[in-house]
Amino acid sequence: MRPRQTITEFFSTFLQFDADRVGGWATDPKLRRSMLNCQDRLPQPETSKDFWVFYWYKLWQTQPYSLAEAHLSAYLQEVCFWAAQKTIASFSTAQYTLSDCFQMAIVRVNKVLKGFNPQTGFSLSNYASVVFRSVLKDILRQQQEVDICTNWSLLRKLSQKRLVESLQHAGLSAETVACYLLAWNCFKTIYVPLQATGTRQLPKPDSATWKAIVKLYNAERYRQLSPPGPECSLEMCEKWMIICAKAARAYLYPTFTSINTPKPGQASGELLDDLPELTHTSLLNQLIEQEEQQNKDLQQSHLYTLLAAALTKLAPEAQRILQMYYGQELTQQQIAEQLAVKQYTVSRRLTKSRESLLLALAGWSNEALHISLTSEVLNNISTVLEEWLKVYYNHPPAHRESPL
Amino acid sequence: MTLNPALPAFADPTQLWLEVSQTTQANAWQQSQSFRAPNCRWNTYLNLSCLNTFLPWLREEYEPGAAPWPNLAALPSFWGVVNGTAITLGTKRLVLVPTETIDLSELRVPQEWVDIPSWVADYYIAAQVNPDDGWVRIWGYTTHQQLKTSGSYDSGDRTYCLDENNLIQDLSVLWVMRQLNLEEQTRREIAPLPILPLAQAENLVQRLGSADVVMPRLAVPFELWGALLEHGGWRQRLHQRRQGVAEQWSISQWLQSGVSEVAQQLGWGQVQFQPSPVGARGAEQTTMNPDVLSRQISIAGQQYELRVIPRDYSEGKIWRFELRSRIGDRIPRGFKLRLLTEDLQPFENNEDIAATTVGRLFVEVFLEPGEGLVWEVEPVPENYDREILRF
Repeated sequence: MRPRQTITEFFSTFLQFDADRVGGWATDPKLRRSMLNCQDRLPQPETSKDFWVFYWYKLWQTQPYSLAEAHLSAYLQEVCFWAAQKTIASFSTAQYTLSDCFQMAIVRVNKVLKGFNPQTGFSLSNYASVVFRSVLKDILRQQQEVDICTNWSLLRKLSQKRLVESLQHAGLSAETVACYLLAWNCFKTIYVPLQATGTRQLPKPDSATWKAIVKLYNAERYRQLSPPGPECSLEMCEKWMIICAKAARAYLYPTFTSINTPKPGQASGELLDDLPELTHTSLLNQLIEQEEQQNKDLQQSHLYTLLAAALTKLAPEAQRILQMYYGQELTQQQIAEQLAVKQYTVSRRLTKSRESLLLALAGWSNEALHISLTSEVLNNISTVLEEWLKVYYNHPPAHRESPL
Repeated sequence: MTLNPALPAFADPTQLWLEVSQTTQANAWQQSQSFRAPNCRWNTYLNLSCLNTFLPWLREEYEPGAAPWPNLAALPSFWGVVNGTAITLGTKRLVLVPTETIDLSELRVPQEWVDIPSWVADYYIAAQVNPDDGWVRIWGYTTHQQLKTSGSYDSGDRTYCLDENNLIQDLSVLWVMRQLNLEEQTRREIAPLPILPLAQAENLVQRLGSADVVMPRLAVPFELWGALLEHGGWRQRLHQRRQGVAEQWSISQWLQSGVSEVAQQLGWGQVQFQPSPVGARGAEQTTMNPDVLSRQISIAGQQYELRVIPRDYSEGKIWRFELRSRIGDRIPRGFKLRLLTEDLQPFENNEDIAATTVGRLFVEVFLEPGEGLVWEVEPVPENYDREILRF
């Protein structure tokens, strides 16, 4: 991958894939124009990426439908790429290519922006990296599980939200979706496993079960559907359920038809292309005055020292597990094998150690940064802690010049 | 080496993964089999697996006194009709909401846990249960406040739904908040539910008690349904009916053939009346039948005993309710023993109040056969859930 050079490039170009390989960078003209416009308004060129990240993020907060999201999506291309590559390497997946993973993650840029809190002193790219990886891990985990489920099992293991999205994605009308949804709810209520395990291999329900499902549907439709729609037959019900299962599978394997078009910029014709000049100018001035960035660097080095101190307070075994997990990047299973304990023990100890670290970080954020702690703030810190631990264990303090 | 390969290799430490031991799973399965309807069995199985995995962890790591709410014996009457298990955690309450979905797109909390005033919890814990591999993953939590403000209400299945992105994913956040003494508003005020008149409650129990009603929680308006469930006595009766079992709260049956199992689990038992030693007060010796029913109750860590004594057994019409202290003869000032009709109406001389520290509190009532009564004690005993005693 050729590194991007100019600040304009960083915020207006998108990674291109040629089959499953990186092809290069494609410029989105609209974003490029937007960057150039903004730069023109500054008294002198601003070349700090962090400055622009902060700028677009601030703008996104007040104008979520502006070009800001697309600019930040452009900025996060590399982070997303590495997250995709890392995740795909640790899973054996035949269904997804690197490019698929990249696309699946980058469309979640909104999740990154929503969860991010710059107050806590962490960088957007760190936060994004954790979110992208966790999103991908989750998708791949789901895919593995879905692949081994029969249709009948899968139907019982879908969230309602996912099913509705799948059906909508399949292009079904709102009325049809409502019918299917009710039928699915009846199916789930009547058709339950009769054994404690084996929930992935449920066979097709027998005819008595289908009858009960259909009976329930035909009674409930008067209460739950408006209009109640036609009576449902056994055949119809079975057909509907198969459509639901198929739609859910298809939804999990999205096909990216427009890989070469930068996704977030796609609809930019309808977005606020030219913001009132005032918004830009006042935001830019504010940023320059506040010298946010310098403060942030300082904060980050404090944070790093603090984390290091908190880590040394942990019991030696806890430290060892953290080192194995974040430093050597062993899986919990591998750690369990090495320490001759159960994987659950490793998992619980990791969780416990992280809690101590989170406690230390929380106290510090409160005292040093004067951040009023809420569950959301702590949740955000908890997410970024993942990335900090990885960085910490991969770059021992002695060899580091600056934190992160 | 003991290696359990069932936990996914990619389990990450930001979320809590707990092992469902084989014993826990087997017991949960066995206990769930007492339900008639397969979906109640399955719901009970998931909730029990989840509770008996999460609770030991909770006790070990954070709160040794954590306990199911209102009490273990009452849980089947919840699981027969609704998903979720409440746990008391000091002054807070949390509700475990198990799900078996693969995707974790949203948390769906049944309306009962959100809109029945006495059921409301501070925290709602999203638990993914995987029975095949034997683990529970706590994938996030939220508060009543959040459910009410950021959640959406789905009238189709009467649930409050919260998008995954609005959950706090790391349960550690909850403990850190507690350790730092950071109080957040967890509950939002909600409207009380009506108290159902007896005839209406009986009608509902009759109607919804039929096993043919597959989704009883959706069959009548929520106000009625919620009001019915909130009353522990009616919830138990509904459960009995749906299960097709006989009355479990019949005092005359208890006296004849022993206290029912569910009542025993709640602390009811039969006491063989000890004739008073010479020189003690002799009033008790005048009772014709020495059988007395007794229930253990605990208030602020102190043990008390509620006794139900047939005073005139030949006609079986006068009953004495007595509250005593288990240790010493001391019931603190301000304690109240109160009897109410089934639909919670007071009647004449229905309560006794300790004006000073007293030896015992008692109320005597004249009852027709078949009449029902609810007892209350103030302060409210631990694990209290309303009971309808049938005479």
